[in-house]
Amino acid sequence: MLEASALTKQYNGVAALDNLTLRVEPGEVFCLLGANGAGKTTAINLFLNFIEPTSGTARINGLDVTAHALETKKFVAYIPETVMLYKNLTGLENLEYFSALAGRSDYTRLELLGFFKQVGLQHEAADRRVGTYSKGMRQKVGIAIALAKGAKALLLDEPTSGLDPKASNEFSELLRQMSADGVAVLMATHDLFRAKESGTRVGIMRHGQLVRTLGTSEVGHADLERIYLEQMHD
Amino acid sequence: MFRRILAHEWRMLTSDATVWTLIAIFALSIGYGTLNGARWTRFQHDAISQAEREERDRLAAHQATIVAANTGTSKVSPFLDPRNPEVAGRRLAGRYAVMPPAPLAALSIGQSDLLPYYFKMTTDAKETVTAGAELENPQRLLAGRFDLAFVIIYLYPLLILAISYNLLSAEKEQGTLALVLSQPVALRTLALAKVTLRLLLFLATIGALATIALLAAGVDLGNGGVRFALWFAAVAVYGLFWFGLASAVASLGRPSATNAMTLAAIWLALVVLLPSMFNLLATTVYPVPSRVEMVQAVREASDEANGQGSVLLSKYYEDHPELAAGGAEQAMNDFNVIRVAVNAEVERRVRPVMDQYGRQLVAQQSVIDRLRFLSPAVLMQDALNDISGTGAGRHRHFMAQVSAYHETWRGYFVPLIFRKAQLSTLADIPRFRFQDEPFDRTIARVATALGGVLLPGVALFVFGLRALRRYKVA
Amino acid sequence: MIRRIARKELLDTTRDGRFRVLAILVLAISVTSLLAGWKHYRDVQAQHEQAQRATRAQWLGQGSKNPHSAAHYGVYAFKPKNRLSMVDTGIDPYVGVAAWLEAHKQNEFKYRPAQDRTAVQRFGELTAAEGFLVLLPLFIVLVTFSTFSGEREQGTLRQLLSLGVRTRDLALGKALGVAAALALVLVPATIAGIVCLSLTPEYGSLAGDTARAALLGTIYLAYFATFIAISLGVSARARSSRLALVVLLSFWFANSLIVSRAASDLAATLYPTPSAVEFQSAMEKDLADPSDVEQRFERRRQELMQRYNAASIDAVPINFAGISLQEGEEHGNEVFDRHYGRLFEIYDRQNHAYQIAGIIAPLLPMRALSMGLAGTDFAHHRSFVHAAEEYRRSIQRVMNYDIAERAKPGVVYTAGPELWEKVPDFQYEAPATGWVLEHYRWSLLLMAAWLAGSAWFAFSSASHARVD
Repeated sequence: MLEASALTKQYNGVAALDNLTLRVEPGEVFCLLGANGAGKTTAINLFLNFIEPTSGTARINGLDVTAHALETKKFVAYIPETVMLYKNLTGLENLEYFSALAGRSDYTRLELLGFFKQVGLQHEAADRRVGTYSKGMRQKVGIAIALAKGAKALLLDEPTSGLDPKASNEFSELLRQMSADGVAVLMATHDLFRAKESGTRVGIMRHGQLVRTLGTSEVGHADLERIYLEQMHD
Repeated sequence: MFRRILAHEWRMLTSDATVWTLIAIFALSIGYGTLNGARWTRFQHDAISQAEREERDRLAAHQATIVAANTGTSKVSPFLDPRNPEVAGRRLAGRYAVMPPAPLAALSIGQSDLLPYYFKMTTDAKETVTAGAELENPQRLLAGRFDLAFVIIYLYPLLILAISYNLLSAEKEQGTLALVLSQPVALRTLALAKVTLRLLLFLATIGALATIALLAAGVDLGNGGVRFALWFAAVAVYGLFWFGLASAVASLGRPSATNAMTLAAIWLALVVLLPSMFNLLATTVYPVPSRVEMVQAVREASDEANGQGSVLLSKYYEDHPELAAGGAEQAMNDFNVIRVAVNAEVERRVRPVMDQYGRQLVAQQSVIDRLRFLSPAVLMQDALNDISGTGAGRHRHFMAQVSAYHETWRGYFVPLIFRKAQLSTLADIPRFRFQDEPFDRTIARVATALGGVLLPGVALFVFGLRALRRYKVA
Repeated sequence: MIRRIARKELLDTTRDGRFRVLAILVLAISVTSLLAGWKHYRDVQAQHEQAQRATRAQWLGQGSKNPHSAAHYGVYAFKPKNRLSMVDTGIDPYVGVAAWLEAHKQNEFKYRPAQDRTAVQRFGELTAAEGFLVLLPLFIVLVTFSTFSGEREQGTLRQLLSLGVRTRDLALGKALGVAAALALVLVPATIAGIVCLSLTPEYGSLAGDTARAALLGTIYLAYFATFIAISLGVSARARSSRLALVVLLSFWFANSLIVSRAASDLAATLYPTPSAVEFQSAMEKDLADPSDVEQRFERRRQELMQRYNAASIDAVPINFAGISLQEGEEHGNEVFDRHYGRLFEIYDRQNHAYQIAGIIAPLLPMRALSMGLAGTDFAHHRSFVHAAEEYRRSIQRVMNYDIAERAKPGVVYTAGPELWEKVPDFQYEAPATGWVLEHYRWSLLLMAAWLAGSAWFAFSSASHARVD
């Protein structure tokens, strides 16, 4: 579903992303771990065609993102670190707008409320202005948008940063549901605990390179941390 | 998709209090400007009516004195004999040559407060006849008028820039741009939709407000329907330029604050600085030929022709008839003939000076005119003036007709003077009927000016759209 | 303390790249406009002086003719340009340059330069005055809008206040610092202005104009100080730098472009100008009215007959033709004075109302004062029109009394150069500086009020400055 082939991005000769090759199949949750500046966000931006690769390709559903910029967006949903929505619109209005942009302008109010319920948002919240939402609530709207879109792939950038444990847990649950529905998830995160909990595979990035990949079922929490720190050791 | 974004943008704009404040300010300005323009037009119409009334009354009184003189009921001094064609043509029976304001003159006061729009025709030299001007406080001429054209040329671009300086940068800074662009929406589509909505909003506002204001001011829109459409087209083109500029700057991806500064600086340069610099050039580097020198040259030329001094003597006698020697009537008629001959000689000598002056003036004006393509504000001023009939083009057309009328006037009276005929009726004295410019000539001028605004506007749009490809979303 | 703050503010400002670019631009525009004004003044003044000499020569070289013919020949009056018009051209483009001074008629000044120009003229000239009144305040706003709000956003304002710096000192220090930065632009511009002024020694006294120039400079400085104070005040009170900028720019825009036109329109609504038709017809009616003239003639006849103990007017040793000509002139003069007086009174009232509107915009009294001191306002024009008219009347008196004394009734009488020379050359003295200041006392008051008010605003805003 998501495929990077020798994906490279250089800025003034310095590689922000160096020769990234990975595949995320439907149902997989791939977590990219690494320090700030390791290239995680760059990888996501490349998949979204927000920046042009210096070399290599990024593919979504088999289509090259640079060649099929608009089409590939149909399959993928993006949830940034801080989900920013239109403050003066209600949660439901935001959902409706973004769904329309995604090509789904046929949802009834009931159907939209259904998505709200699915992500765990209260009914009353739906008609409140997004400016009053907490970070966790906004993130849930982001996920609702992804669901409403019927996206086959999900790109997440630090989804649990700033969330309290309960919200974090709810998020994990949603992720599990989506993965079960066959969505391919690529998640950039610092959160080792959440990566082990929600992820199927983990990739450790350092200086733009993917230095180690392993399945989360192969290691325990403590081992993961140890391996991670080993890789980070300079 | 496009329409959905339009709806969204409409929602965003109308929920912003600042937008409503801007619209309110705009509405007030448009209303006030239109009313001001209408008031001035009414003043002009009133002045013209006054002139026509004055002419009617004077000629009626004159006709009465002719009748009285013919029936011998009143004594007539030979130098003020109402039946004398010289006296009639030069002093008593002058008719007005009038250029009425065009329909929709309220849209732009233009040059109409500076250039004269009515003259009293006499057999005097053409320069004497056309020297008049409407009375106006020079400090008022300096300050300028708050008319609709002022609002459109100065305020309209500022409001456009105020509403579009953060066209894309707002979404980027508030964080929604990434989420929007992760949907299958091209940045180009988004930008276009935003601009389109704002442009439509402005045009609808202006159209509605201008129509209401004009109707409230009592202007007859039916008469000037095509002109109003042309005016609206001009406003649309001018808007297109400024929106093009805003899009071009927006596509560079700079923060909102930087965009605001850049756009404000460009507005200042195009609307305030450049036009004043053109004026600077026109006074120092390429000035208008000197009227003072012209006055001297004309005086010298007429001095030569007036060698006889008989004209001046005649003036003397005519002012003070009781002082003339005997045989007044005979002397008077001879003097009139001599005067006509001398006048012709004076004009013959003065003509080359005036023609030379006119040529230099036209040359200077055309050089300065070409500079106007550097500033859309100046082009817009020309376009608005032409549409409302208050520009130099229509005035030149009027002056040409006034010249012709002067010839006709002379052509009527001079033979009578030479024949020493006596007038019995004033009904045959030639009248002036103003023929307005053929509308296609006006349209041609307006089209040239608007073209000069449209081209850079379109170029800016194209540049903006292309620059969007390199827009940094993240 | 204040000096330290001022010095820091100066350094801070001058190191800003944007300040440098703007400063260079403003300086370039100021110097260019001064040079242009100087050139224009020299060229036009030379033309007018030469023309004035030529018309005098024509008058003297008339040869032999009847004095009344000479009166009809007349002379031309050419409006002189004031030296300081190189700084502020005022209404010069909108008043005629030449008037024909002939018998029986008070002619208007013809050939307004603006009528020969294209419509772009109405955008305004880039004179030094425009630069100082319109562009420099914008420069001030752009340089000072973030003096307080920027420090607040950086966090340094809180630190300063916690050190116990008095807000009054802070405000004054910042104002002085900004003024010093401004001086970097103004001093070269002033020097350029002084050089330009002194390069025209051939046209009239430089001393009087130097006093006016100094006064002009002082009031401009007061104007800049007002803007600095307003900027500082707004910067201290505004919630953010962005808001401060928007408020100040709106004020600048309203001040520079909107209020002037609106005030001019309002003044004309309060004191409407008559149309030319109305004016001319009323004047012609009064002129043609025979009753007053007849009475005058009769009065003079009686007077003369009494004085010379003559039985009839023909027995008097004075040629009544001359007297009646003069009486006709006097009658006409009365009519002219009445009508033109009323018209100019309307203009004066309009201009006064325009000044008073300066309550809401400091530009208006500044414009009035600037034009007044530069000698390019309506009051100066009116003074010249009056002088020219007085000269015209003096010509008529000399000519008519000559006829009265020398001409014999029934005999053709001519005079020659001795009579022409009896009419002195036209000398015009511009009104004194004191007169100008008296005439514009309201503007001076308003400017003082603005300066005081804005200073108070700045200080009080500084003491109530938002810290977060």
